Amino acid sequence: MFQIYLPIAEISVNLLVMLGLGATVGFLAGMFGVGGGFLLTPFLMLSRIPPAIAVATGANQIVRASVSGTLAQWRRGNVDVQMGGILIAGGIAGAVVGVLLLKYLREAGQAGLIISLTYVCFLGSIGALMLWESINAIRRARAGKPVSARKSGQHIWIHGLPLKMRFPRSRLYISIIPPLVIGVLVGLLASFLGVGGGFIMVPAMIYLLRMPTNIVIGTSIFQIIFVTAIVTLLHATLNHTLDIVLAFLLIVGGVVGGQFGVRAGQKLRGEQLRALLALMVLAVALRILFDLVARPSNLYSIVPLAGA
Amino acid sequence: MRAATLFLALLLTALIGAPGFAQQTPPLPAEKPESKETVQSDISTREIAIQSNFTGIEILIFGSVDFSDSRTPGSGTYDVIAVVRGPDEPIVVRKKQRVAGIWVNGPGKTYDNVPGFYAVLSSRPFRAIASDETLKELGIGLSELDFGRHIPSESQEQAFRTAMIRLMEEKELFKEDDDGVTFIGRSLFRATVALPVSVPTGRYLVDVYLFRDGELASESQGTLEVTKAGIEAFLYTLAFQHPFVYGLLGVLIAVLMGLIGWYAFRRE
Repeated sequence: MFQIYLPIAEISVNLLVMLGLGATVGFLAGMFGVGGGFLLTPFLMLSRIPPAIAVATGANQIVRASVSGTLAQWRRGNVDVQMGGILIAGGIAGAVVGVLLLKYLREAGQAGLIISLTYVCFLGSIGALMLWESINAIRRARAGKPVSARKSGQHIWIHGLPLKMRFPRSRLYISIIPPLVIGVLVGLLASFLGVGGGFIMVPAMIYLLRMPTNIVIGTSIFQIIFVTAIVTLLHATLNHTLDIVLAFLLIVGGVVGGQFGVRAGQKLRGEQLRALLALMVLAVALRILFDLVARPSNLYSIVPLAGA
Repeated sequence: MRAATLFLALLLTALIGAPGFAQQTPPLPAEKPESKETVQSDISTREIAIQSNFTGIEILIFGSVDFSDSRTPGSGTYDVIAVVRGPDEPIVVRKKQRVAGIWVNGPGKTYDNVPGFYAVLSSRPFRAIASDETLKELGIGLSELDFGRHIPSESQEQAFRTAMIRLMEEKELFKEDDDGVTFIGRSLFRATVALPVSVPTGRYLVDVYLFRDGELASESQGTLEVTKAGIEAFLYTLAFQHPFVYGLLGVLIAVLMGLIGWYAFRRE
């Protein structure tokens, strides 16, 4: 019942399962204020979707989520277009490198492995850091101390770099090298993991660039639209791994799920949300790690030479 | 006593002579009559369209044996083997090895022409129908298939080949069905074969072989076309022939849905 054939993945999936997956990820993304790519791509891979198709299709889904998010942030004046432009420039460079790298790895039969390994490293370390930070915040809140505020105005090594530029919206005068590097890294991750990269961009912008948190959120989600759109386009053009039918199902589910997620998120406190998110990130990392370490039921695998 | 001896002699003659006499009664020709029986066959669906609701399909191969002599079918004299073979494609087989506690794909072996689908259906176990040489000549049976790779000296060559065949069998893309062909009455036969959802597109050959006493008596060939149709075909063609436009379409849909989602949410 409700089976639907995916033209590029060339398998038949359950329509309701894919809509439900889109809605679940959309719900969690809306609740935590993240793109949800880091959950969606692994879930797709667990649903027998080939890794490279999961990545490209996941990126396409994030375009939808970040357009909605940016519109909401834009109205609140939280988008620093100038900073976003620099991040996008770096992001495009990173995306091109990442897509070509994935193409090469797929031909060598190692795409699945490297995608999984990268997921384990990133999700594992970020999940652990987030959990540590949020547990400390919860403890401090319980002890009646104020939740730590961002220290600003400190002079760190980043301020010594050349090519300085003024960013009036963010009230910053810094070198464009750090945002460019952050952009490249995010572009690489987006093309490689099918994620928006907010989970690495947001802390980097807060702690390294010392941008105001509200501007960080608006600007990062603005940048994610362009980077994931470029990633989608590059994967479709160079690797033929975008499945539009699958993307459409996930997008429709995501639109619905996202609305409920935002409302659910407003009922939880910030540090509790972060602790929950951290636990989820760690769970995903462990699940992927388990598949890498456990003895596979079949040691052999076959793929068409053309890849797919 | 004499009469008794004569009687015994006559009886003995009759006893010994009778079988000889009976053997000679139906005059056996020195040579077999020239085989004139032919097989005719067709497929229930000559064109299979993969659309969005495609979950696999079962096709029926049917046919009849036109006899030239009076032997009855179904007594084991006549046998039918049907072979369905999909388009060839190069396939890479890899074996995972444990490296630093993690299972990693090892170097692959490429098989240049592996049929995307291959099924042997027969009226009884096909190895009992004809000699190994005949089967090999006709390319009947998974073990007889030539995948375009002849490096038996390389280590694990046989293990890779066996693993590939087993994986294709698990995907229901390779199969051998020993009682897949059923005779109905004297001359009609039918065989059903299931094409799974992952069946590749292209032209399929359906060969039906008629065997008599282990010798190939007649054969008939049909074709079957598997194509993507409707929106599936449109998207597939677009994705591979105009990938940039296809990617742009994907991004456009996402942006539009993002706008719609935001608009719907904003109104609350």
